[in-house]
Amino acid sequence: MTQFVVKPGVKNLKHDGEKLITTHCCYCGMQCGMHIRVNKKSGKVVGVEPRYDWPVTMGKMCPKGVTAYQTVDHPERIKKPLIKKNGEFVESSWEEALDLIENNYKKLQAEHGKNALSVFGGVSMTNEKCYLVGKYARVALGTRYVDYNGRFCMSSAAGGFMKTLGIDRGSTLPWPELEHTDCFFMAGTNTAECHPTTIQWLWRARDKGAKMIVADPRETPTARIADVHLDLKAGTDSALANGMLHLLIREGYVDETYVNERCNNYAGLKEAVKLFTPEYTSELTGVATEKIIKAAHIYGQSPRSVVMFARGVEQQNKGVDNVALYTSMALLRGQIGKFASGVATFTGQGNGQGGREHGQKADALPGYRKIDNPEHVKYVAGVWGIKPEEMPEAGVSAYEMFDEIQNGNIRSMHVICSNPAVSAPNNHYIWDSFKKLDFMVVSDFFLSETAEFADVVLPTTTWAEDEGTTTNLEGRVIRIRKVREPLGESKTDWEIMQLIAERMGKGKFFPYKNVPEIYEEFRIASKGGKADYYGITYDRIEKEDGVFWPCPDEDHPGTPTMFRESFGTPDGKANLPAVLWQEPGEVPTEDYPHTLTTGRVVFHYLSGTQTRRTQFLMEKCPEPYVEMHPELASQYAFLDGDNVYLETRRGNMKVKAKITKAIRKDHVFIPYHWGKELSVNKLTNPSLDPTSRMPEFKVCAVKLRKA
Amino acid sequence: MRKVMYLEFERCIGCRACQAACRECGGHDAKERNYVEYVDFFENRQTYPMLCMQCKDPACARVCPANAIQITEEGVVLSAMEEKCIGCRNCTFGCPFGIPKFDFEENKMYKCDMCYDRTQHEIAPMCASVCPSDAIRFIDHDEMMDLRRRRTQMNLIEGKKPSENNKWDYVPEFFGVYSD
Ligand code: SF4
Ligand code: SF4
Repeated sequence: MTQFVVKPGVKNLKHDGEKLITTHCCYCGMQCGMHIRVNKKSGKVVGVEPRYDWPVTMGKMCPKGVTAYQTVDHPERIKKPLIKKNGEFVESSWEEALDLIENNYKKLQAEHGKNALSVFGGVSMTNEKCYLVGKYARVALGTRYVDYNGRFCMSSAAGGFMKTLGIDRGSTLPWPELEHTDCFFMAGTNTAECHPTTIQWLWRARDKGAKMIVADPRETPTARIADVHLDLKAGTDSALANGMLHLLIREGYVDETYVNERCNNYAGLKEAVKLFTPEYTSELTGVATEKIIKAAHIYGQSPRSVVMFARGVEQQNKGVDNVALYTSMALLRGQIGKFASGVATFTGQGNGQGGREHGQKADALPGYRKIDNPEHVKYVAGVWGIKPEEMPEAGVSAYEMFDEIQNGNIRSMHVICSNPAVSAPNNHYIWDSFKKLDFMVVSDFFLSETAEFADVVLPTTTWAEDEGTTTNLEGRVIRIRKVREPLGESKTDWEIMQLIAERMGKGKFFPYKNVPEIYEEFRIASKGGKADYYGITYDRIEKEDGVFWPCPDEDHPGTPTMFRESFGTPDGKANLPAVLWQEPGEVPTEDYPHTLTTGRVVFHYLSGTQTRRTQFLMEKCPEPYVEMHPELASQYAFLDGDNVYLETRRGNMKVKAKITKAIRKDHVFIPYHWGKELSVNKLTNPSLDPTSRMPEFKVCAVKLRKA
Repeated sequence: MRKVMYLEFERCIGCRACQAACRECGGHDAKERNYVEYVDFFENRQTYPMLCMQCKDPACARVCPANAIQITEEGVVLSAMEEKCIGCRNCTFGCPFGIPKFDFEENKMYKCDMCYDRTQHEIAPMCASVCPSDAIRFIDHDEMMDLRRRRTQMNLIEGKKPSENNKWDYVPEFFGVYSD
């Protein structure tokens, strides 16, 4: 395998005594291409070099990507297993840590049954590891309780796409085509901050005259330059989308042939959106009717358009409906399956796409198979070498696992690559649940807020110390290369799962000597499923700049554009939704008069475990703040920088005010990347979407006062 | 050097990748030399990058009593030479763009050198390499001139520019920097 991949004629700066190793950023779903600088003598990671010839990102990186390498040789890395003794972590040997895990796991299962154990996974890991998490839980531990942090990230998009299109692939088109799009309808996505390297494609399209419509309660850097900024109230996306659909129909912008040939339930949708006149839509969303009408005309008249959305619409208790409705805007215009048009969600986590397809989810098995389908269970059990009846039944979603802890059903949790102590809603409940566990194991390379609750912390490697594949936000499978040897005694997540499996007497099901062996098994496990990776090999990824799934065999070119001829539903037709208006889980009241919405800043990634330990990023954004409009601020006599006390029905916090007109007057915004007293998730509402079980991070009712 | 730096302020999304990347440049001692600022955060989120204009007749070098600021044959204005800089800070006041920074611990000035270790090999500076919005570009002089003409023409075409939320009027449309 080549370590440094570069196209002819592309110049990179090489320093003496250094080598460049080609890989991708460890953070968001853009998976920007980069080369890591490694000192040849010491083997240490020393810097980064742009990968100018990676076709998705062209060498561009955001500040997280530029500084990503700094977490590898970081002084705060955990290099030995830690065991909590008398409330203090003490360094120990792997032997001792594994003994402790084995004893506790066996004891708990003997006393309370197999399902006393649980696994909480994450998708900032390679496909190989994500695939193994499901197998580890079900085969090594034999528990039904496994779920992952994608429930707080991608599950509504997945649910909405499954319902509507039959296959959940984040983008129906490859990113470089965006340059040729005429109109972007972007809802609940702060692209400039959360997926910055996408901006180059959007701006290039704009250079050619493309229009932008942005729906967001805040005037984000993308909303600021939009042709129409639909400044809707948080949690009213389904109304806005219904209103847009209403106008597309009323104004004759529907591609009738496409809809008749390729969609079900057009009549049902028509009937449901009848109610959503611009006036009614405006009443629900708080957006001026003229803007709604203008947006519909621009979108409706554009020959090639892409509907894009992200957590803003998905992290609601109707996230799945929102996704289905926005997706239908693309369907009514006949856009999906064509050049430079379609629908896309911005995958949050690095491998949010790949990691959700292969069985980390409570009800899913590799290749997007379902655990309640006996055929699927039979196939996967065959690959794993177990009997179908040994396959545990479906578990429960991430947040609901904490209910099971509170009910005494789950007695132990192994958290892998995640930090729910910060990222789960209603933090106090999560913290209390961790304390109730009899035994808790965390695999991480920094001592995260979650790890602090653990009885045993197992030191893992960073992304740079292992190889594998990830799937970026387009659905393109790409290669992560190993850049250096594991630091200290840290081990890769797959080795850790393997070691615990051995202790549980299941070692023979985890015989891997290296990552390619896991990948080979995983290809077969995904074969024939919806997310079919069988035809994708490491070699092909390198030669072809990544391969798009589905790719059922090695001669198959992969699928950059989805749904050209038919959709992934049983009858090949897309299902148009008929959705009525439903309020968010919480609306402002006299006691809690304003809306609190949460989100991200460009300098931090998820719960901040890594980015809060990176100097540049902390200098630029050291702490959370509350963003508010000067009109709201003046009602409380807040000045910029004043301490503000915020309280919801679940918790409270104190942060500094940041005053700007770039937000709705009735909303306040707090970024969520901090833990403990700085965690806004103490305040957020765990109102769950009925299908995706996604909590409503984006909307809750809040009261303010001077602190 | 035939390539030039080209700034288009309105494209900037304020991500500060250019600043993070500036620290990564070989000779930069992990200190950034460029700036990203809000136009007025109370009003909106428009930011703009600022870096050395690599002036033909640089004020910083002119006002330096120790002759510490060298200009390369390609016209790149370098940081003050360690052994010559007397720490008077004249350059930081002399530069009309406020570019040179001062290191009080080391008692010397430092500034953007267009990543000379890269650009002398015609490899883009770190800031221009990573800038996700192409607000900072490292392009051929001809391409730059072409872009300048095209911008003006395109702005005349109806519908090209947004009529609402057109808040980039705060800053010049574009700003070309070139060294030949
Ligand atoms: S040209 Fe080089 S020195 Fe100047 S701002 Fe960019 S990266 Fe920094
Ligand atoms: S990298 Fe580009 S977009 Fe980001 S702050 Fe710098 S100039 Fe602006």
